[in-house]
Amino acid sequence: MVRDYNNRHALDQKLRGTPKPVNADHLEVGHWQAIATVLAQVGLEAAVQRALSSTPELSLRYCGPGEWLVVSEVDTPIGLMRRLDMLCGTQAHVVDQSDGRVLMRLSGPCARRVLAKGVGVDLHPGAFALGGSTNVLCGHIAINLARTGEDIFELIVSRSFAESLFDDLMTMGRAFDLSAAFSD
Amino acid sequence: MASLITCPHCGVRPKEEFAIRGDASLIRPAPTASDEAWHDYVYVRANPRGRTLEHWHHVAGCRRFLVVERDTVTHEVYSAVDGVVAAREAQR
Amino acid sequence: MTAYRLSSGGLADRSKALSFTFDGRPLRGFAGDTLASALLANDQLLVGRSFKYHRPRGIVSAGPSEPNALVTLGSGVRSDPNTKATVVELYAGLTAKSQNRWPSLGFDVGAVNGLLSPFLGAGFYYKTFMWPRQLWEKLYEPVIRRAAGLGRAVLERDPESYEKSWAFCDLLVVGGGPAGLMAALMAGRAGLRVILADEDFRLGGSLLSETETVDGASAPAFAERIVAELQSLENVTLLSRTTVFGWYDDNVFGAVERVQKHVAEPSAKLPTERVWRIAAKRALLATGAEERPLVFGGNDRPGVMMAGAIGTYAHRHGVSAGKSVAIFTSGSSGYRTARGLSAKGVTVSAIIDSRPEASDAAPDGVRVIRSGAIVDTKGRQRLSGIVVERSGFEELVACDALGMSGGWSPVVHLACQRGARPVWSDALKAFAAPDVGDTLRVVGAANGVYTLAGCLRDGAETATAMAAELGFNAAAAPLPVTETEADPSFAALWYVPGAKSKAFVDFQNDVHAKDLGLALREGFGHVEHAKRYTTSGMATDQGKLSNINAVGILAGMRGVSPAEVGTTTFRPFYTPVSFGALAGTARDSHATPTRKSPLHEWAKKHGATFVDSGLWFRSAWFPRAGEKTWRESVDREVLNVRANVGLCDVSTLGKIEVFGPDAAEFLNRLYCNAMLKLPVGKARYGLMLREDGFVFDDGTVSRLSDDHFFVTTTTAMAGAVMSHMDYCAQVLWPDLKVRFCSSSDQWAQMAIAGPKAREVLQQLVDEDISETAFPFLSARAMALRGGINARLFRISFSGELAFELAVPAGYGEAVADQIMEAGRAHNVCAYGVEALNVLRLEKGLLTHAEFDGRVTPDDAGLGRMFSAQKPDFIGKHLSARYGLTAADRMQLVGLKPVDKDKDIRAGAHLLKEGMKPSTLNDQGWVSSAGYSPVLGHHIALAFLKSGRERYGEKVVVWDKLRDHEVIAEVCDPVFVDPQNTKLKA
Repeated sequence: MVRDYNNRHALDQKLRGTPKPVNADHLEVGHWQAIATVLAQVGLEAAVQRALSSTPELSLRYCGPGEWLVVSEVDTPIGLMRRLDMLCGTQAHVVDQSDGRVLMRLSGPCARRVLAKGVGVDLHPGAFALGGSTNVLCGHIAINLARTGEDIFELIVSRSFAESLFDDLMTMGRAFDLSAAFSD
Repeated sequence: MASLITCPHCGVRPKEEFAIRGDASLIRPAPTASDEAWHDYVYVRANPRGRTLEHWHHVAGCRRFLVVERDTVTHEVYSAVDGVVAAREAQR
Repeated sequence: MTAYRLSSGGLADRSKALSFTFDGRPLRGFAGDTLASALLANDQLLVGRSFKYHRPRGIVSAGPSEPNALVTLGSGVRSDPNTKATVVELYAGLTAKSQNRWPSLGFDVGAVNGLLSPFLGAGFYYKTFMWPRQLWEKLYEPVIRRAAGLGRAVLERDPESYEKSWAFCDLLVVGGGPAGLMAALMAGRAGLRVILADEDFRLGGSLLSETETVDGASAPAFAERIVAELQSLENVTLLSRTTVFGWYDDNVFGAVERVQKHVAEPSAKLPTERVWRIAAKRALLATGAEERPLVFGGNDRPGVMMAGAIGTYAHRHGVSAGKSVAIFTSGSSGYRTARGLSAKGVTVSAIIDSRPEASDAAPDGVRVIRSGAIVDTKGRQRLSGIVVERSGFEELVACDALGMSGGWSPVVHLACQRGARPVWSDALKAFAAPDVGDTLRVVGAANGVYTLAGCLRDGAETATAMAAELGFNAAAAPLPVTETEADPSFAALWYVPGAKSKAFVDFQNDVHAKDLGLALREGFGHVEHAKRYTTSGMATDQGKLSNINAVGILAGMRGVSPAEVGTTTFRPFYTPVSFGALAGTARDSHATPTRKSPLHEWAKKHGATFVDSGLWFRSAWFPRAGEKTWRESVDREVLNVRANVGLCDVSTLGKIEVFGPDAAEFLNRLYCNAMLKLPVGKARYGLMLREDGFVFDDGTVSRLSDDHFFVTTTTAMAGAVMSHMDYCAQVLWPDLKVRFCSSSDQWAQMAIAGPKAREVLQQLVDEDISETAFPFLSARAMALRGGINARLFRISFSGELAFELAVPAGYGEAVADQIMEAGRAHNVCAYGVEALNVLRLEKGLLTHAEFDGRVTPDDAGLGRMFSAQKPDFIGKHLSARYGLTAADRMQLVGLKPVDKDKDIRAGAHLLKEGMKPSTLNDQGWVSSAGYSPVLGHHIALAFLKSGRERYGEKVVVWDKLRDHEVIAEVCDPVFVDPQNTKLKA
């Protein structure tokens, strides 16, 4: 028995079907990016960060000391694991999280006001710099939040919580007609 | 409603992101230590009024145990440092 | 008809008429009215009945301190009790009802309570209804609750929606009056991130009812100009209709914004109310001051109001409280109000001044009675005249409204909510805000500055100074030009002697001056005691008007300064906040997150019945056509696993990847059994203890490479184990080179169990998974045909030949589908956690039903896993304590009912036969029970004193809660295949 297996997205149930119009404030749910946790060996945190930062295709999301989520829009999960193994060698441990995390991209003029309903962190452009990222609580759910554009934020959430977070975000965004769709 | 802890790794965060584990000044006894030492370590806690050291686990953030120096009366927070740093110092 | 709308003036938009109803009566007001101003304009002076005596009561204030005008807004599920008419913004279609009256506001049977008032004095709760005790619940309480009370809560589900939001700023300004507006303006111009919050629907505060000009314009126009500039500043957020209700640690403020309280048809996109959590680097209280009522005989008659409120209604709303208004004052403010009213064309009948002399100017032609005291009021449901006493002579002065002005109290609640008490000021004759440091300062009238010019200056200068502290440079700007004002001095007057009828201190709670005297005589003179004993200062207004007079009266009676009496404790909330607003969106499906397994849709496809398990939804069983009860489904699933093969979703287990050169050492210290020498490619059952020696959690540890372990935890303890590992790695053993992270969500994990498991699974993989190539407790990464990176474990929680297969979560459903297809020929079935539970029960395998925090490894029959040779691990030392090694500890046993038709229930206690149920006779308890379809009768796991020595003995399984008793035989906890022949097949 050999077959191709389908990969089912955690929000398939929510977002499958006819695309709706994209509004000014929009929640785009990533479909194909690869995500991995990188854990630097104790004492080698700085070296690992340097190695990871050297590759423009990789986006680093800070989780804690010596721990990052690495996001790639170009690699497959296996490709990302290979690339990270080459970059970090024995300096770090790498765990594939491509299936274990869901990435949501919230953009638009009211993105900060949407997030402020769940996130107890100052999101003012002067306080949450472009390129910044951190683990944070959104409502009741722990996420990683990154600012990837002027008014663009990316939320990475554990797969099992994705539906709940999605529902929360849509409620938080209802005043701004927040729309949602898969990224492809 | 809220109180804010300045995490050395994540910045200013509401207390909801933390789990408090209690006295941070405890040192785990050696396995061969006396029963009394172990009993004290596991069961006996002071309930201090005023300045105290506590472990705050930044569960929803960096997942680090912070040593928070706090006044139990006013809830003024004097400092919050990484627990590993504090633990290594204590071992010295 | 005496209260009326003035022919012109005020800020209400007379081109926009709004219709509303009060107690069913259709009325009209204008946009910009409050419900109270519109009621007054319609001469609806009587708005409620008092709490205890059911006395008729009218509007007293024009703001949030209102004690009387509490109404129920809306109807049915949308009704909102105890709403202050004085702060409700009028909208078209508003319906309001008066409260605490029966059968009607005009005629209230409860007013007979007034005749009983000698029995309803202070402390009457504590004295009158004490005995007979059994009457309290059935008679007294219901009667009192019906007779005394406020509005009624709605019991139906609240249809409104709410939300919360965080906000961050450099400066929070509380209050949008002259001081607050100037402060926000200076800080905003300097570039600070400013939030200005005001509870009113229109910013301006006292400027909106001010008669003076500012910068040559009317005060409201000046306010409008400042607001317009603030609106143009990107760094300034204006929150009107927003009450800052609390000051919390680290300068976080709670505020509630009434987003849609003022609309008849709320938009579904917006919340009704929004709670703000505002983290402010600095905050300014510009909360103004409260005018004090005067305590004199008959002071609760409708028509007796705060003088300033009469002014506000006249100037802001264009409504006169009466045709002929008298003023009773102890200071300059009363004169100021009189002059303003007179200028508006309202007749002022007299000014009664308690002071013997004063330099204040009365309006032309208005009589001033100095050293005067009102001792009684006349009229039935509204005021018709006042009895004024002067030098022993009484005189009746006709009037239909009376303004009282007893001086001013700064509004300092917020500054006192974190422990600091207000400070008595002899100069202000009031309690002032305490010094609470740099982060929160008080300006304007709240700071005891009572002139308009002073407020504008205080706000501007303090904000400029605070901006400089935060590193901002505020450019100097000239202060607005105001007219010259007289100093608003007053004499403290806590109680007007000579009262001929009840002189109320607290209108809302029907507390009059004599009640305070009684409290003092009976030993409740401490201000906190007096509050509880008399109820003065309780309920919805928390004594905003009354407290200061209660303190003054107590001080007078005790012969001490008010400073010595002090105040009651200030706590959030400043004004009542609805539970809905505090809950925000956290209700229904948003109350807690729901976690879904990657196999959720797969299970749904197979008809699963789901069960809540913590945050998770787990598939409990998979009913098939014809099965009428859950037991039928579960029995079939169990038998099929034992005979053929089944597939169960175990994705909810906690999964942790542990790395590093010291990973093995780390795990060796975490578990009570040995982990150091676990070979690569092998899994091992692991038992974790707490430091006190009791079992914490169990799971499996698999070594995938030298320095990479894969650890599973139980579903329930996944978070706790991860936190425990964080603690051990960071705090206990910071020098161990170990790193770990959760991979719980990355893997869809399924158990494939049953004699045919291998045949089914072999179809999906190329590698040999035979008994020799992949024996029991093998564990390794393995690719599925088709190229999916999987992990395969030869572990079993059913006693059957079993595998656990982990695949990347997104592929879980497809792989499960494939297994079901591959297994069709072998009669594969899906099984849920109920069957999983029966399977493990038949094998005596344990869960947290057994590991309940009181159980040691030896209690659970797992003593052999305790590795005493290891130098150290969590829980080792205290496991050797006497109590944990005693021979008569409760030990794990199996139970079978002697009568095979009987069932055993978890939670039951065990007794020796013939013994009475008692704590002393307690022999143990049943931890898990269920029906074994293999054996055809119920079985149970239990903890029994010295249980392992007692196999064969009969015990009573006693369950008084469910009134159930059965005799059971004690046996080995492994009921099925005790030799484990199937496991290693």
